[in-house]
Amino acid sequence: MPRWKLARFVLALAAPAAFAQVPLDAGLPVYQPVEGISGTIKSVGSDTLNNLMTLWAEGFRRMYPNVQVEIEGKGSSTAPPALIEGTATFGPMSRPMKEAEVDGFKQKYGYAPLALKTSIDMLAVYVNKDNPVEGLTFAQVDAIFSRDRKLGHPEDLVNWGQFGLPGEWATRPISLYGRNAASGTYGFFKEHVLGKGDYKDSVKEQPGSSAVVQGVASDRGGIGYSGIGYKTADVRAVPLAMAEGEDFVPATPDQAYTGDYPLARFLLVYVNRRPGAELDPLQREFIRYVFSRQGQEDVLKDGYFPVTAAMAREALQAAGIE
Amino acid sequence: MSGGRAAPRRERTALFAQGEPMIWLTGGGLALALAMIAGLLALVVVQGSVTLWPGPVTRVELNDGRAVMGEVARSESVGATGGDGPVRRRLFRTGNFELTGEHFQWVADSDIRAESRPEWALVVERTAWGRFYGAPQAFLLDGRAAASDPASAWAMYEQHRLAVQRRLRERQRLESRDIGRVNRRIESARLAVKSAELRHGMGSVPHREAVARFEAVERQGLAEHARLRGRIEALNRENARFQLALATADGWEQAIPLADIVRACAPNRLGLAAKWAVYGSRWLEFLSGAPREANSEGGVFPALFGTALMTVVMSVAVVPFGVMAALYLREYAKAGPLVSLVRIAINNLAGVPSIVFGVFGLGFFCYIVGGWLDRSFFAANLPNPTFGKGGLLWSALTLALLTLPVVIVATEESLAAVPNSMREGSYACGAGKWQTIRRIVLPRALPGILTGTILAMARGAGEVAPLMLVGAVKLAPELPVDAVAPFLHPERSFMHLGFHIFDLGFQSPNSEAARPMVFTVTLLLIALIFLLNLVAVLLRARLKKKFVTGAF
Repeated sequence: MPRWKLARFVLALAAPAAFAQVPLDAGLPVYQPVEGISGTIKSVGSDTLNNLMTLWAEGFRRMYPNVQVEIEGKGSSTAPPALIEGTATFGPMSRPMKEAEVDGFKQKYGYAPLALKTSIDMLAVYVNKDNPVEGLTFAQVDAIFSRDRKLGHPEDLVNWGQFGLPGEWATRPISLYGRNAASGTYGFFKEHVLGKGDYKDSVKEQPGSSAVVQGVASDRGGIGYSGIGYKTADVRAVPLAMAEGEDFVPATPDQAYTGDYPLARFLLVYVNRRPGAELDPLQREFIRYVFSRQGQEDVLKDGYFPVTAAMAREALQAAGIE
Repeated sequence: MSGGRAAPRRERTALFAQGEPMIWLTGGGLALALAMIAGLLALVVVQGSVTLWPGPVTRVELNDGRAVMGEVARSESVGATGGDGPVRRRLFRTGNFELTGEHFQWVADSDIRAESRPEWALVVERTAWGRFYGAPQAFLLDGRAAASDPASAWAMYEQHRLAVQRRLRERQRLESRDIGRVNRRIESARLAVKSAELRHGMGSVPHREAVARFEAVERQGLAEHARLRGRIEALNRENARFQLALATADGWEQAIPLADIVRACAPNRLGLAAKWAVYGSRWLEFLSGAPREANSEGGVFPALFGTALMTVVMSVAVVPFGVMAALYLREYAKAGPLVSLVRIAINNLAGVPSIVFGVFGLGFFCYIVGGWLDRSFFAANLPNPTFGKGGLLWSALTLALLTLPVVIVATEESLAAVPNSMREGSYACGAGKWQTIRRIVLPRALPGILTGTILAMARGAGEVAPLMLVGAVKLAPELPVDAVAPFLHPERSFMHLGFHIFDLGFQSPNSEAARPMVFTVTLLLIALIFLLNLVAVLLRARLKKKFVTGAF
């Protein structure tokens, strides 16, 4: 075997993530296990983060096989009560906590919970893979999903023909898929795209992010919203534009850090930490793992986008770890 | 005239008296029910069993110069926009997620230039990143090519595979058993410090003693750790020497460490017997392994075990209470409006939606009872909850409540079926009330009671909705039973096959790959319930023989 080929093999081994679509920040620390960690990690919260938490837990358990993990993900709204009741040590959420939720937490503990920005999601609007629509503006998406049309689109959009699509698409009705109200994605979409307007009654509310994608996959006239990590070969993420006349920005990895994609958001993990106090060793190590090279590689594996080394350092400092 | 009118009427009456139409009606109903059940079972069995079969790997070259290689997952035909009739397109499972960012890819037949089934198309199942499809290029030993054509690279892989697997097992044993023991010692010393602090105050004598003990244990533990880590490192180093280099269809080359490979096969080269061997080995992993990659790969053993154990604990909880309640209602209580009211309430309980029981279980068992237990006995663990969250015990008790009416009603029916003359005979011989119940009534009623238990178990094992609130979780690889005292850990959350089906179907990141698994897990759940029922039926048959014949 020629020498150059060998070099490529070695390179591939040294940095398997280098060939993925988004490179990991080289400044992210490699996680080194420490001694004496055991106990239970209990996470309750977001469905968008459900698989990511599971991947982190699996990776963490590879370092500490004795740590027990229990992961539930029924929606971001289940995280605050679980943190307040103390039934969970981690509360993953795909939207920031609401004022009332923070207040509820403060009432019990006297301080606000700590939010860690663990990774970046691009909330995508999915259509069936055969749908030829080129792109959508926020006002159009609003008119598709909301009955209030707060963004001021002149007419209700109920048919793909209204976008001037050809052939059989001209008469195909739009079929709506969305999440249930416990979901953080539901709240995020409502706030940022629908201008806090209400969803139409015809939105088929699904129990999970993956269910939304599967709904759109099997329904040629379907449209739905979900995290980018749930994309499959059967759906297409529609390029979006904030306003009429602006360029459509696709939900592709190169847009993750430019800030141009209008629905990029941080995926958060909340923890109960008294300001100034030290975290429990198990919590501390799990957070260190999440912001390590291995943890952020798991983010890539789930289809989301990793944080940069600077952001990771900031989060670790906020948690009082470094 | 009147005789002529009467004749057809007699004929009609005769038809119904014979019962001919009713035979057809009831028989038809049975046939329809059987056909639906058979259809459902056939769907589940067929879909569930083909999932793990190693299908052929197809390589297609596209008109735009790209090449795609993978297993064909399914195909569909679409009306072409060009107007030359429907076009077939196929969904390829292409894997190689770290290179392409996709697990699956659609390819239309009209885009294909050439199609082949390469002999050396390898399907590599890995511990991380999902499957890899590629052709073996070389076998790397310490980073140098020790073999550089497919056949000899594969031969070297086969040669080194078992040794690598053995070292992996050895590493796992060191990690989970030996390091685990050290970690638990340190953790329990740390908790002792915390509880001494809570009970006696910071700086008190017991607290200082606990701190000293903790420091000693920690020092000793760290030394032990360093030794074990050294051994693990040595195993890792040895394993890292072996890599298999693969080339993907579109020209990328990737070296995969042997330690990351769960299973590799070249389906296009395999004969039928070898395919069955791969199939069997996949089933074995599926039944006995732990899930990987957010449940989309690996096995379901924790879910299988969790379902069975939860059902058994539930039966142990529900049967004594149900039987006692029914005994009191039937044998001791005086019939009257109050007893009727209780019966109506029990029957109504059977109609309450199961999710309501889940909400009750969460509020009462987890928050109130569990929270109290935590504050009283596990204060040192706080803020990490011990019992104050969903767990096996709370799930079993919630389902016990749910299935209580089934047991009570079945027991009452079977008690009522015991002839009164037998009770009276017993009294006449001088036996007391309890003696009569124990010696005469219960043995006769036992088969009926067991029938109620079987029904309750079947209902409990198939129930998912309340469990989502009180303890079934997406990932809990640690089993509720293990070799660490006290062996049974009723406070742990667990995985459940029913919830696993929901998770695979609606929450998996790689939903395309997870969908066939839904059928496989369903098949498994049905088989498990069948098995539990079978055990109960056999038990009932034995008891029937023993008690009923023994009574006479």
